[in-house]
Amino acid sequence: MNRAYIVTGYRTAVGKANKGGFRFYRPDDLAADVVKHIMNEIPQLDKERVDDVIVGNATPEAEQGLNVGRMISLMGLDTVKVPGMTVNRYCSSGLETIAIATAKIEAGMADCILAGGVESMSTMAMGGWRIVPNPKVGKENPNWYWGMGLTAEAVANEYGVSREDQDAFAVKSHEKAIAAINSGRFKDDIVPIEVKHIFLDENEKRQEKTYTVDTDEGPRASTTEGLARLRPVFAANGSVTAGNSSQTSDGAAFCLVMSEKMVKELGLEPIARLASYSVVGVEPRIMGIGPVDAIPKALKAAGRNMNDINLFELNEAFASQSLAVIRKAELNPDIVNVNGGAISLGHPLGCTGAKLTVQIMNELKKRNEKYGVVTMCVGTGQGAAGVIEMI
Amino acid sequence: MNRHIRKVAILGSGVMGSRIACHFANIGCKVVLLDIVPRELNEAEQKKGVSADSKAHRNRIVNDALQFALKSNPSPIYRKSFASRIQTGNFEDDMELIADCDWVMEVVIERLDIKQQVFENVEKHRKEGTLITSNTSGIPIHMMLEGRSEDFQKHFCGTHFFNPPRYLQLLEIIPTPKTDPAIVDFLMDYGQRMLGKKTVLCKDTPAFIANRVGVYAIMSLFHAVQEMGMTVEEVDKLTGPVMGRPKSATFRTCDVVGLDTLVHVANGLKENCPDDEEKDLFELPEYISKMVENNWLGSKSGQGFYKKVKDENGKSNILVLDLESLDYREKQKVKFPTLEMTKPIEDLKQRTKMLFMGMDKAGEFYRKVFGGLFAYVANRIPEISDDLYKVDDALKAGFGWELGPFETWDLIGISKGIELAEKEGKTIPSWITDMKDAGISSFYKFENGQQFYYDIESKGYKIVPGSEDRVSLEALREGNTLWKNDDTTIVDLGDGILNLEFHTKMNTIGGGVIQGINKALDLAEASHKGLVISNNGQNFSAGANVGMIFMMAVEQDFDELNFAVKTFQDTMMRVRYSNIPVVVAPHNMALGGGCELALHADKVVAHTELYMGLVEFGVGLIPGGGGTKEFAKRLSDELHSGDIKINRMRDRFLTIGQAKVSTSAYEAFDLGYLREGTDEVIVSRELHLTRAKQACLELADKGYVSPKREKNVTVMGQEGLGIVYVGANSMLSGNYMSEHDRVISEKLGFVLCGGDLSENTVVSEQYLLDLERKAFLELCSERKTLERLESIIKTGRVLRN
Repeated sequence: MNRAYIVTGYRTAVGKANKGGFRFYRPDDLAADVVKHIMNEIPQLDKERVDDVIVGNATPEAEQGLNVGRMISLMGLDTVKVPGMTVNRYCSSGLETIAIATAKIEAGMADCILAGGVESMSTMAMGGWRIVPNPKVGKENPNWYWGMGLTAEAVANEYGVSREDQDAFAVKSHEKAIAAINSGRFKDDIVPIEVKHIFLDENEKRQEKTYTVDTDEGPRASTTEGLARLRPVFAANGSVTAGNSSQTSDGAAFCLVMSEKMVKELGLEPIARLASYSVVGVEPRIMGIGPVDAIPKALKAAGRNMNDINLFELNEAFASQSLAVIRKAELNPDIVNVNGGAISLGHPLGCTGAKLTVQIMNELKKRNEKYGVVTMCVGTGQGAAGVIEMI
Repeated sequence: MNRHIRKVAILGSGVMGSRIACHFANIGCKVVLLDIVPRELNEAEQKKGVSADSKAHRNRIVNDALQFALKSNPSPIYRKSFASRIQTGNFEDDMELIADCDWVMEVVIERLDIKQQVFENVEKHRKEGTLITSNTSGIPIHMMLEGRSEDFQKHFCGTHFFNPPRYLQLLEIIPTPKTDPAIVDFLMDYGQRMLGKKTVLCKDTPAFIANRVGVYAIMSLFHAVQEMGMTVEEVDKLTGPVMGRPKSATFRTCDVVGLDTLVHVANGLKENCPDDEEKDLFELPEYISKMVENNWLGSKSGQGFYKKVKDENGKSNILVLDLESLDYREKQKVKFPTLEMTKPIEDLKQRTKMLFMGMDKAGEFYRKVFGGLFAYVANRIPEISDDLYKVDDALKAGFGWELGPFETWDLIGISKGIELAEKEGKTIPSWITDMKDAGISSFYKFENGQQFYYDIESKGYKIVPGSEDRVSLEALREGNTLWKNDDTTIVDLGDGILNLEFHTKMNTIGGGVIQGINKALDLAEASHKGLVISNNGQNFSAGANVGMIFMMAVEQDFDELNFAVKTFQDTMMRVRYSNIPVVVAPHNMALGGGCELALHADKVVAHTELYMGLVEFGVGLIPGGGGTKEFAKRLSDELHSGDIKINRMRDRFLTIGQAKVSTSAYEAFDLGYLREGTDEVIVSRELHLTRAKQACLELADKGYVSPKREKNVTVMGQEGLGIVYVGANSMLSGNYMSEHDRVISEKLGFVLCGGDLSENTVVSEQYLLDLERKAFLELCSERKTLERLESIIKTGRVLRN
């Protein structure tokens, strides 16, 4: 078998949606910038030898529509020869693309694929601009269409996760993220992005301002007392608040996945490989619990067990589901999200899987450890997990 | 000179200043609002590291005051976005901003020396010829002229607003001897037409007109209560809505205003009016002094005549002050035979007459209190005003009385009024006895659709100045009524325009009103140019008569109910499709059926104070008089090719589903009840009907062709239904609504979507009306809807079940 390796991976800093540094920046531009950065890093790779650009995106419409994957290929590689496609499995899209790339390469269908994801929640309404549920399903199984917040409430109720625990988890997430940023932990992950803001000054004169975004914008000093004051937003008398949910964000991340043959030919040093990737279905009503089934399935496929795993990146969609997963799947909290998670760092939906992959590779490298799991709950009742093996 | 007010400077951002600023913003003016610079950085600023020379610090007082005002309830602003018309600043850095203001108004603290300082500063910056006025309530206006230039003096005047300035109608205009008469005329007109106020020209006497008489009335009650041994709740019952005064009546009003404020004005009057024959009444009774001593000032100090407490279960209860013991106790039910007797009488004037005739303590109370009031106002002429109508106007507009003292006097007759006053030992001035001797029997009369008042100087009747061109229902009713039934009256407004008014309880719409609307349409179509639907009630209409619906629903008389709803729908459709233009002119509440009526007008001329909404959801129903249909139709009309329909549908759905009520006419546009480009807003309630008639005439004269019934509503059908079901289920699952709310929501969504048709089907209005009526009737057979109806009928409360 022709092994597939991740030879490099980068992400942008994660911007706060609607008020952050990327709010004027289109997702196709953002993703193309990351692609360019990767290609510059490997000058020996002729861009026309890239077989495909696969882009994860959870809301592929408007700026992210029109097969944005192909657009990113054209914009990022500046050649018509490399195709591009868009993949949507909501919050695991960015990991799904790396899995597709790995599978294609290992099946001998390709040698080199740029795989990742992008999401601009600044430019997009949550769920998209036009939500048209099937009326028959709406009548018979309305929870298949529930908003994610409501499913987080359902998980909190069903798994008995208290408001206090959720808020404490959120505070911890921010503390870890701030410590990571302060110690430069993400420096190796991030491609600094230059953004141009064109506006009118008070005399209505056209002005341009260029600034660089190179730091995650989500983390803030927060306290349990502060969070306790927030009101539930998805259910009356509920426990899920804006403070203990993930943040809406803008971001892009890509990995370059390459066959063993090509790695050798170009004299590259692979970083890691995606040893397995599994997706499961669960009740849509409690979608947050998805990783509980996905993790063992992925471990089994990789021939590993829980004790082999050195780090987990569990996407913090909500504190309620994160805690339910940690408890139910019996994860060691000390090795879960060591640098914070989506509650503090943000959750650019379709980008998240690739972003967490970049993060876990760098962290495993720094720790000189071998195995990591990237996992997340996925809308409409799914869970996904991928086992990363460092080379 | 044609004077235009584009920009106004308000100096002083206290309770009045900030709210006056909001009201100018309401009518479209740009406003500069200034106040003093804080003395030092406060704790929050120090913590934030704000510097002492930053704008944030230097404008803190004015910014905080404005934000506080904007957040207050009821809101001083018609539409939140209007607040951006107000620019804030401070007296030290920003006085030059007044250079391009057309009107500078002083609203600073009530100290003459400070006001004079402000004026000196104003004089350095203001442009010659611009208006400058003071909103003082206690300082004589002429004392502010000292040291000012001739141009300043010529353009200076008192303009006294009442709190809250958006809502209270009165604006007293107090010129000095130096004020240019043209300025007075301008302010009188501008105040009415542009600011929507009742402008009353006052003399520069202590507390002007409204507060002079109003505070007398309160102080005399304070004393009368003691003499007659009455309780707080008794007096509030007797001096509230039963006699056409606000619900807060006497003592509750004192609590809201603050006893200290009241005492301040009373003390001022005591000092400044040595010749007032009733000056002893401005002396505080002992219990009032005690209350002030105890700091029981009302709402601001947590207790006054009333005190809100919480029992051990956390349930709040309102206790009342016992004026004898000065202890708070449970409220007692107030019962007087006179009140029982007058309860069924809807007409205030008829009711008031009965109140005076009461043989019990209540009757005695009214006779005593009004005997004093009649004498007091009679003796204030010519001291505070040469014209009696100004006293009535000021009290009505400033204190929310529906009848002024002289109007009340007219109800019982001049002789009887004199008798009451004399019985109280009061002296009646000669101008009244002269009137009586000359055989003149009333202060007012109506003739040829105009109101006349008795002019003391000429000893004859004169038309109320400024009312010549005003269309007044009250004046027209006599002599111009074409038809009436128990619930409605059709009045000929002249020029071919008819008016239909309702006069049911809360102006609800039942069979009699429906009959009236149809009759008015018959008459107008047969021999007139157009129809206006408006009335002078407290509210335009509180909606359909739910009592009637409830009765039929309880008796499961569904054929009858179907017929009634169908008749309502048909009548609304007649309003739209008649051969003549129909203008609906709502004010205050226009809810449920009242809103539906407006939705079907050719044009709505709305008063700015419009609280409009389709609120049927609260009683377990959906709008059944064409309201839901109309929202589906408007949804179809407002969409352009390529629009995302489902989001616009959601907005329409939520407006009904959350029973949204506008807090102003502008909000009614935002909520889709009023139509941009078709409907319009007028600020002056006094000119409301005049404008509505004019608008109706314009429609007729430019060649009115009734719209044609077409099959032209594109409904979403199944495209929209999914989100209706999912949305309702999500709200239920999030505990935001009950199971019954879900049932109603789904029915509402079903009608709005035009049922389960395939996407984008074109349907007729009648198809939607039938769908709407079916849903309405189905809900009427639901037990929980009946419970909701019963709750609103019996307790006036919306039941969530």
